[in-house]
Amino acid sequence: MSSQKKRTFQIEAFKHRVVVDPKYAEKTWKVLEHAIHEIYNHNASGLSFEELYSHSPLPLDGVWNTLFRIHQFMPWCKNSEVAWNAYNMVLHKFGEKLYSGLVTTMTSHLKEISQSIESAQGEIFLEELNRKWIDHNKALQMIRDILMYMDRTFIPSSHKTPVHELGLNLWRDVVIHSSKTQARLRDTLLELVLRERNGEVINRGLMRNIIKMLMDLGLSVYQEDFEKHFLSVSANFYCLESQKFIETCDCGDYLKKAERRLNEEIERVSHYLDPRSEIKITNVVEKEMIDSHMHTLVHMENSGLVNMLVDDKYEDLGRMYSLFRRVPTGLTVVKDVMTAFVRDTGKQLVMDPERLRDPVDFVQRLLDLKDKYDKIINMSFTNDKTFQNALNSSFEHFINLNARSPEFISLFVDDKLRRGLKGVGEEDVEIVLDKVMMLFRYLQEKDVFEKYYKQHLAKRLLSGKTISDDAERSLIVKLKTECGYQFTSKLEGMFTDMKTSYDTMQGFYASQSDVGDSPSLVVHVLTTGSWPTQPSPQCNLPSELLGVCEKFRAYYLGTHNGRRLSWQTNMGTADLKATFGKGQKHELNVSTYQMCVLMLFNNADRLTCKEIEQATGIPLLDLKRCLQSLACVKGKNVLRKEPMSKDIAEDDTFFFNDKFTSKFFKVKIGTVVAQRESEPENLETRQRVEEDRKPQIEAAIVRIMKSRRTLDHNNIVAEVTKQLQSRFLPNPVVIKKRIESLIEREFLERDRVDRKLYRYLA
Amino acid sequence: MQLLIQCCVLWFVSPEGIEALCNDVNVNHTDVRMLIFAWKMKAEKQGYFSKDEWRRGLKCLGADTRPKLKKAIEGLDKELKVPECFEDFYSYAFQYCLTEEKQRSVDIETICELLNIVLKSEFPNQVNLLVEYLKVGKQLFKLIYVQNDYRALNMDQWRSFYRFFKEVDFHDLENYDSSQAWTVIIDNFVEWLKEKEKN
Repeated sequence: MSSQKKRTFQIEAFKHRVVVDPKYAEKTWKVLEHAIHEIYNHNASGLSFEELYSHSPLPLDGVWNTLFRIHQFMPWCKNSEVAWNAYNMVLHKFGEKLYSGLVTTMTSHLKEISQSIESAQGEIFLEELNRKWIDHNKALQMIRDILMYMDRTFIPSSHKTPVHELGLNLWRDVVIHSSKTQARLRDTLLELVLRERNGEVINRGLMRNIIKMLMDLGLSVYQEDFEKHFLSVSANFYCLESQKFIETCDCGDYLKKAERRLNEEIERVSHYLDPRSEIKITNVVEKEMIDSHMHTLVHMENSGLVNMLVDDKYEDLGRMYSLFRRVPTGLTVVKDVMTAFVRDTGKQLVMDPERLRDPVDFVQRLLDLKDKYDKIINMSFTNDKTFQNALNSSFEHFINLNARSPEFISLFVDDKLRRGLKGVGEEDVEIVLDKVMMLFRYLQEKDVFEKYYKQHLAKRLLSGKTISDDAERSLIVKLKTECGYQFTSKLEGMFTDMKTSYDTMQGFYASQSDVGDSPSLVVHVLTTGSWPTQPSPQCNLPSELLGVCEKFRAYYLGTHNGRRLSWQTNMGTADLKATFGKGQKHELNVSTYQMCVLMLFNNADRLTCKEIEQATGIPLLDLKRCLQSLACVKGKNVLRKEPMSKDIAEDDTFFFNDKFTSKFFKVKIGTVVAQRESEPENLETRQRVEEDRKPQIEAAIVRIMKSRRTLDHNNIVAEVTKQLQSRFLPNPVVIKKRIESLIEREFLERDRVDRKLYRYLA
Repeated sequence: MQLLIQCCVLWFVSPEGIEALCNDVNVNHTDVRMLIFAWKMKAEKQGYFSKDEWRRGLKCLGADTRPKLKKAIEGLDKELKVPECFEDFYSYAFQYCLTEEKQRSVDIETICELLNIVLKSEFPNQVNLLVEYLKVGKQLFKLIYVQNDYRALNMDQWRSFYRFFKEVDFHDLENYDSSQAWTVIIDNFVEWLKEKEKN
């Protein structure tokens, strides 16, 4: 319309009754009909509304004239009620005719168009369809504009299809669903997709337009005429392709191809299909390429999941994860295979007799295994929590298959704190300790670890061989956080004793005015109960020592009332200055027992084993070990033995080895280093652990029964297990025995009627 | 009654007295009926009857003459027909063997004897097997971690024997469920029975 300013326009009411002459209506319809023809015949492009309505070749008079004029000015008409009423009145009588005429005219035009499309040859078919569609839309728009007010008034009230929609429906029914066109259209589109999948370049713009046409015609048209078939054909395509790939590719390559196809389809949708199709086509690809071949892929020989894990193929694993995530149960399959493999690997590791010889190496390998899989989960599986949990449960499973794991972990810690972490920065120390804690958490028998840890810690403290007090304390804090105060209170007691002993020594030497020739003594005073050591009877100390020992005892007891001290001669060390045959001097670092033996040779040239035993009072088994270490080890043989055999018999004779030589001035002979236990020692420790568990189980039972008053058997077992699980896993048979013991001692009674029920006796 | 009380001056203080009583009524002192008599009397101390206990026993039996007493004692085994009575008697039998002040368990030998006296008539086969197990079975379990070396048993274990015989069919041991709060000795007994059956 022209840029007329809004101005009020008043129409006078008709002063006379309007009589509508059917002939006029007929005439005026012809005008319209002609106009529509003109539009379809592309003659309307030059026409403006003014021309159409005011300069028509036929005279427009009467009511229709008025109508069209009104129509022309309607947007600017404020007092349009009268006009509306007139218009409506007319429309009411002739609207029906107008509408049916429209339908007929449009239909006949479309039939012509349809035929022209049907006759298009080959490639031109789609192009022709597209062209005609564009034209139709333009025409439709114009017709709608002309009949806009009919659209807004007559059509709603008579419940007829609006013009625009009518135009689309007619296009659909007459053109698209013509018997020749419908199938041809579908097949043409599908063939183009196939060619594109096979690598050809196709006219994507044209595809997009055609597809958009289908969508404009309605979602059901798009789905029924295209999408449905597209999905089914794609399914076949990918089914065949995946079959071919599976037979010719290895797992990694297959996954690459699958990923590529998936991305292709997504891209295809974004370029020329309805966005809602994306999920549907990706489901098809996922099902045909991944879901159907999941197990084959995962278990593929030489290239499947296990191989990828072994070879740290992060990229391939990442691809497998992101693809398998798309299908139901995909990740479960991956996780299960990984879990089984990790369990198997771990099991082999912990049960391998070769590995069991070197505890430090054993634990290091466990840590390496964990690191490897942590990295895989991090780099390829997006730190997926379910995979983390599966890894943790696998570790927990196989670590506990070996009953010596607690001992070995403690030995590993011992090695690190004794020398492994020497010179390592504080942060890195923390990292190692945190890794140890992680392994500790997997242990079911934490109380066994505690026992060994105590033993090893005691040795470290007493021999002064710990590289860092801070590192020791840091680990204790971690253990306390994990297990509670009870776990570490005795350990802390050991540290306290060491500190106190140091202070005591200072005080002792300060109080001694005359040190003289006596050997210098360093004493550690250990509180019984905090330390894991077995008390042993004192052996006979050399006379040179007795003086200073007594002085210390007197000093200590003088400042500490009511205490008892006993020398633990099985645990001490000594430094001896020795001069050999040719005058060579050495400093010997030995155990207390070894010192007692060697000092005897100051006053005797030869002694039998029996004589030494009598003189020193050392228990025979320990003495034999001691003599072996002094006489039978190359480089440390300060004594000579006759006969030269490795075994010690009671009447073997020992001589001071004048001919002893060593490149080192300081010779270390004593060993107080923590070592893995021999089998009998191991059995003994285990028995002690079992004995220690009995009162803990009983205490738990009593605690539970005291609060519950009555409880049945299975529930007691479950509760006890739960209460103790942070320390160890109690054996249900042992729990039962403890209950029976408590019944016998009348802490509990069994119900007379229901023998599964127990009652607490106050 | 006076007659019997006079006689009981001889009887009630000592084991010898009881032996005399047994002779008189012609029932062996190891016979279950003597034990039942003790139960009726609620005798506390093995081998001795107090005056009150004696009176109680005679009253229970409704015997005031020697012939009546003899007849009553002869028929005592019928007293145990009712299950509740039997259970009470069964527990009593164990208690009767506790001779020391704080004693809570009875040695294996006595247990075996007691089983024979008290349960053999009703469960002959089972009693034989259990006695065999208690005397011999412990040798088989050296390797098992939990100690199975029973030298004496307590009341709870004793009670579990009778229950076990009553409730479990020895021919159907596969259905035995060790999580059902049977005593550990019963669990082990079943294991031993199963092993025995295999061989």
